[in-house]
Amino acid sequence: MATTDLAAVLERDEDGALPVGLTLLAGAIAAAVLSPLVWVVANALEADGAVSLLTAPTTVEVFINSSVLVAGVTLGSLVVGVPTAFLTVRTDLPFKRGFSVLLAMPLVIPSYIGAFAFVSAFGPRGTVQGVLEPYGIESLPSIYGLLGTVLVLTLYTYPYVFLTTRAALKSMDTTLVDAARTLGHGRREAFRRVTAPQIRPAVAAGALLVALYTLSDFGTPSIMRYNVFTSVIYSVYGDVLGGGRDLAAMLSLQLVVVTTIILAIESRVRGSGVTAESPNTRTTLIRLGRWRWVAVAACLVVVVAALVVPLTVLTSWLAQAGQPTTGRLAFELSYVTNSVAVATAAALVSALAALPLAYFAARHNSRLASLFERASYVGYAVPGVVMGLALVYFGSTYGGWLYRNGLILLPLLVFAYVVRFLPQAVGSARTSVQQVSGRLPEAARTLGRTPTGAFRDVTLPLVAPGIAAGAALVFLTTMKELPATLMLRPAGFSTLVTRVWTAYGSGYVGQAALPAFVLLLVSGLSMLLILRMEGYDVE
Amino acid sequence: MTDGDSSGPTGLTDLGSPKSDMSERSVTRRRYLAGLGTAGAVGVAGCNDLTGGNGNGATATETATPDEDGPGQIGSGREGRDAPGGTPVAELPDLSGELDVYSGRGEALVGPLFSYLEETYPDFTIRPRYDGSTDLVNRILTEGDNAAADVFYSVNAGSLGALAAEGRTLSLPEEVREPVPAAYQDGDGRWIGTSGRARTIPYNTEQFSEDDIPNDVFAFPEASAFEGQMGWTPTYGSFQAFITAMRILNGPEETLDWLEGMQAANVQQYGDEFSIAQAIADGEIGAGFANHYYTLRVLDARPNAPLDIAFTEGDAGAIFNVAGASIVDTVSDEDLASNFIRHLLSAEAQEYFATTTFEYPMIPGVEPVQPGSIDLPTIDELNPPTEINLSQLADLGPTLELMREAGLNV
Repeated sequence: MATTDLAAVLERDEDGALPVGLTLLAGAIAAAVLSPLVWVVANALEADGAVSLLTAPTTVEVFINSSVLVAGVTLGSLVVGVPTAFLTVRTDLPFKRGFSVLLAMPLVIPSYIGAFAFVSAFGPRGTVQGVLEPYGIESLPSIYGLLGTVLVLTLYTYPYVFLTTRAALKSMDTTLVDAARTLGHGRREAFRRVTAPQIRPAVAAGALLVALYTLSDFGTPSIMRYNVFTSVIYSVYGDVLGGGRDLAAMLSLQLVVVTTIILAIESRVRGSGVTAESPNTRTTLIRLGRWRWVAVAACLVVVVAALVVPLTVLTSWLAQAGQPTTGRLAFELSYVTNSVAVATAAALVSALAALPLAYFAARHNSRLASLFERASYVGYAVPGVVMGLALVYFGSTYGGWLYRNGLILLPLLVFAYVVRFLPQAVGSARTSVQQVSGRLPEAARTLGRTPTGAFRDVTLPLVAPGIAAGAALVFLTTMKELPATLMLRPAGFSTLVTRVWTAYGSGYVGQAALPAFVLLLVSGLSMLLILRMEGYDVE
Repeated sequence: MTDGDSSGPTGLTDLGSPKSDMSERSVTRRRYLAGLGTAGAVGVAGCNDLTGGNGNGATATETATPDEDGPGQIGSGREGRDAPGGTPVAELPDLSGELDVYSGRGEALVGPLFSYLEETYPDFTIRPRYDGSTDLVNRILTEGDNAAADVFYSVNAGSLGALAAEGRTLSLPEEVREPVPAAYQDGDGRWIGTSGRARTIPYNTEQFSEDDIPNDVFAFPEASAFEGQMGWTPTYGSFQAFITAMRILNGPEETLDWLEGMQAANVQQYGDEFSIAQAIADGEIGAGFANHYYTLRVLDARPNAPLDIAFTEGDAGAIFNVAGASIVDTVSDEDLASNFIRHLLSAEAQEYFATTTFEYPMIPGVEPVQPGSIDLPTIDELNPPTEINLSQLADLGPTLELMREAGLNV
């Protein structure tokens, strides 16, 4: 079997000594992104009443609620993300290009905007009920609670799975599938024995992002009226005199513990992956036959639910913007440039930081390498306000007058984004490095290239799409980030999302719609770029 | 952000419409503020053009006509308002220099006021940092001595009290404190209220009449008419302040009974009080617990919504909270900071809060606005509990414990 040969290739690397430079670099990056946790741990240790809070039945209840939610959303994202990725890459699905774009787009919509939209459309007395009322429908089944929260979060996070799975399917060595088919395997068998092991690490990496996002989200469950662990964090955080920051830090550490458990599960599930000897070979597409229109309908349902519902609701908000009463928040171009500038910086820094971590972890099957890589995930589950406060602490303690004057706030803000979202870049970079056979740079070495030269000329071009896709994910998520942005932005620095926040928070619903639309537009255009990059070595 | 921005509703039709400029006004400064609103409105109209959203002006035009006293006409009572009481800006010390304001109040609401002050004093610059009030307190505490804050401007007394109790505020001078009634400032002068907000029972007028709403907050769990019909917001700052008041006024046991009774009566949980007001207007629930301006905010956008407010009497359900300010101990120019706070209490600023954010003025002599269909009582007609000090609302810990004991996920 081809897979065993390939695994043997990997093992050769395993025995080799770890390169010192790369080890130090990866270690330094891991230490940097873990550094804010020092504050979290220090504060957590000072928390009073931690035990009684942790063992309170209500805390246990929300802990269970959160676990169920994470499981539900992760499962939901797999169910939506993997088949749609397969359909848009490996089959003759009609309107494939269009669907590839549209199915990725929900990622640009902040899930809290999606939640507002769903509540306002499908609430017990929402727009849809209003339309159905003449037909005697007094009230719709409740959108609130666990099922509604799973639905909304799934719709806005499945693209993580969709994109990572697509990337893997695209760069997968399809000659293996053809080989399996010539050896007499059925299509299903070939998928199970050849395709599945190849894409499993990528699927798992996407699912991991979904799980951790769900774990740390506060806004969406709150709007959907489902009580989760983060809502307790926000409540105790507000109890300033009761040591709220310490308790919030302590509870955030619980999320870190859960994160490590999720990471362990992911490591177990993803398998070692399979490297490609001849990636990106063109392959014949699977013909869907009469199933094609069923497939189109399924994709259409997802697109309509995830995109059309919020766009319609935002449009109706925009209709309210005409009121002269809402005249105090004129739109400025600087919101767009500010948003794009910080998000671009975060994406670039993340890509640079992700590469050594991913390369180290993918090429060296050592405990240390995977520890460094996994470390980058820890900050992802810490709620934004807690991460923001940790960086406020470091900035104000060591930044001196540079902090007081606000001069180091923007670098701190970008660092906060990197700490929070680096895993998105690491995951996709690692899977793309894994898929490049170690034999290719070795061949370059035998042809006289230096190790750096071989990396630059052979490995880098092959993994570049994966790294770019990861950076793009960081870009999109940064565009939507709110709590750390509010805490670390300099005076007078507004972004699209802070504009949505301030307008909505003051009841200027109409004016929240305009920056929200621009946010979706800018992010949507960036998404088009990502998808274009994805196809860079294929077409 | 459990705190939300509990600042007022969307602003004023007549301040924002060109016609208001032409209406008879005796006070020049007010005309200036009106002009401000107009400029903003023009800016937004321009934005609408960009996105092609300009065709939606039907409702807008309706609400924008200040001469029309139709139902739901917000701000209809403001024609012919007397010149505001309080000290006019002209009689206050000039402001100059730079001031870092940590503002928990939203930019949409206080931004125009800040700009107005900056335009009045060319040498004066405000560097606002907007965030949630709780977030800002936590930030100041985390920043320690290196906080950039001169003034903390909060949406509620709880955050002001918390920062003061942590010893991070300076005492305000007498000339700042003098115009504000004692009930709306800290006894030791560590913070001062700049505008007020009343606790109310918003209700759906198709489901209930004003007489149906009990004037005792403890009647709600028992009244069968409200079973499954009430909404509350356990994770929200304003609600937690309300429960804190109940705990202080009635003791933990009665409060626990009330919390459990409401749950037994199938109370519906929401994330914030704006959503409660919306849900009541939609008929999703019949009534709820919320600050007064959330209702006004919904009515501002939907003038014909079947929504009104009622008040309980002398209990936690009628607590009167304030937005206010304090001088942070990292202040660089204390005089500038206290003079700035005096400007928040100026006749012009108080008039602005009353007419633009629908809050209660702090200065006796500035009347609250009677917006549209809502009959907002004056500050003297309210019956807030008297035996509570607003600084006590910062004591949130025991409240959260009590709420957990009642089975709430906070």
